[in-house]
Amino acid sequence: MITQQDLKSKTIVITGATAGIGLAAARALAGRGAYVIGVGRSAERCGEARQAILSEHPNARIDYCVADLSSQRQARALAASIGERVEAAGEGKIDILINNAGTVSSWYVATEDGYELQFAVNHLAPFLLTHELMPMLRAAPSARVITTSSGSHYRTSMHWADVMYRRRYSCLAVYKQSKLANVLFTAEFNRRLGDGSTVRAYAVDPGLVNTEIGLKGTGGIEEWVWQWRRRGGVSAEQGAATAIFLASEPVLEDPGAIYWKDCRPAQPSRYARRPEEAARLWSLSERLCGIVGMVERPAAHEVRGNLEAVEA
Amino acid sequence: MKSYVLITGASGGLGKAFAAECASRGWNLFLTDLAEQPLATAATGIERLYGVEVLHHTCDLTDAASREALWQHIGRSRLSFHMLINVAGIDYEGPFDERKVDELCAIVRLNIEATVDTTRRILPFRDPARTLRIVNVSSLAGYYPMPIKAVYAASKRFLLDFSLALNQELRAGGVTVTALCPAGMPTNPICIRAIDAQGFAGWATTMNVGDVAARTVDMALAGRSVYVPGAVNQALRWLGALVPPSVIAFVINRRWRESYRKSHSVPARPQRSSPEQASI
Repeated sequence: MITQQDLKSKTIVITGATAGIGLAAARALAGRGAYVIGVGRSAERCGEARQAILSEHPNARIDYCVADLSSQRQARALAASIGERVEAAGEGKIDILINNAGTVSSWYVATEDGYELQFAVNHLAPFLLTHELMPMLRAAPSARVITTSSGSHYRTSMHWADVMYRRRYSCLAVYKQSKLANVLFTAEFNRRLGDGSTVRAYAVDPGLVNTEIGLKGTGGIEEWVWQWRRRGGVSAEQGAATAIFLASEPVLEDPGAIYWKDCRPAQPSRYARRPEEAARLWSLSERLCGIVGMVERPAAHEVRGNLEAVEA
Repeated sequence: MKSYVLITGASGGLGKAFAAECASRGWNLFLTDLAEQPLATAATGIERLYGVEVLHHTCDLTDAASREALWQHIGRSRLSFHMLINVAGIDYEGPFDERKVDELCAIVRLNIEATVDTTRRILPFRDPARTLRIVNVSSLAGYYPMPIKAVYAASKRFLLDFSLALNQELRAGGVTVTALCPAGMPTNPICIRAIDAQGFAGWATTMNVGDVAARTVDMALAGRSVYVPGAVNQALRWLGALVPPSVIAFVINRRWRESYRKSHSVPARPQRSSPEQASI
């Protein structure tokens, strides 16, 4: 059983924390005493979410930062302002990052950076934000990066020929690819961190959850289908259970498992377990975010170290 | 000799889709738009994704001095071009009597004057080894007199006729001109809302901007004079040719007033976006 005491020392960042799974997780974790920094797109909705949590837990330590994660510029600025908040709170570290923000779109929409909206928000933003927050995650004695994936990642593959789906765009195919990317990112991140790392990454399948995600950039058929499907979904609180579990459970029975559902390890798709696909996505993501060597593969790191030694 | 594709209005939704399409074909780009930061951000993103060279330079195409400065810069940089995509366009949607004089004239200056200016000025800078492909973004609106969008639709009509004529006139000299005539394009939340407000008709006439960009470039390379994306829109175009313009204006007036009310339940405000996601 987890007590209030356990989370008092924890700093937790949650994106997409003004509604749905993210809000439920923020409420539960702040209610247990953690210092929670939520992220939302709208200042108004951030304010409302903060008030809602404070009215339930008057002593909760909860802050919100506003950022549109479709923009790499804003994702970087967000990381900087999270850093300031963390310093101001006297923490100096982040224990848990929950990459939860996600979106859908019926149409091909190009972001500010010229990338497809769902790929940018659902995959590139978690990748970039994790990179930017890495020094603070490393500063924690034990840190976890939890990314909200989905059962949608099964029965699909990366559409390498046109990863942004500029041609023959399909809302569902693009969403499925982005959720597969979440699992591939998680797998490759752990591989690069190595066994001895204090930072571990996990992908979560929240199940079918009754949230507003299917109503975001959609209209017509997609909106109608989601309105009908979401009725069969569990509540946002139930959907957040696995993320809350991974954020708060001090010792996991199987810390090496990367994909979790119903608070238990689950098997991700065969494709999601292919290291060469994960490595390919990783290097593409680094290139698209303008990042060099976010986490070196151990072997590569040694090679580079040797080269530097030779040059010196 | 290195040759480039010049895209105006490049930080808008359609402009970015054209930039991505051309870059995916391995072509180097020269992008222009009004503001530096969005242009530089898009240029960086496309360069990273496709590994081509993406140059950019800001320009207010409604301003003659700014246009002059743009072409001075191009001349100094000794660039040559094998394609020009005139995307920059603007619409201040809404009833004629509610729009300011400046706004109405800005539509004419950008959609007509700037397109003519750019199309003429690029000719001396064409890549001598290749056919120069020019794409002008007209609109399905160019086929009809359109109440509520009277100036905009007439400006797009200009672009349509201008392109058709030039395509014949310049063809022998190795220049082709293609007019793209799309219906509404879902490039940003405002446009998506406007399309939703039209209900089924909006959905049926709407195509993904990535596909439109890809097919338009195919059409330009084939030297086609007009491209109307989508089967429903092509039917609308031919229907428009059969019905007298005054009848069309009457019908559109009734239809658009209704959907305009739906999508503007809040007091009307100027929008710097046409259905084609216009951006200067």
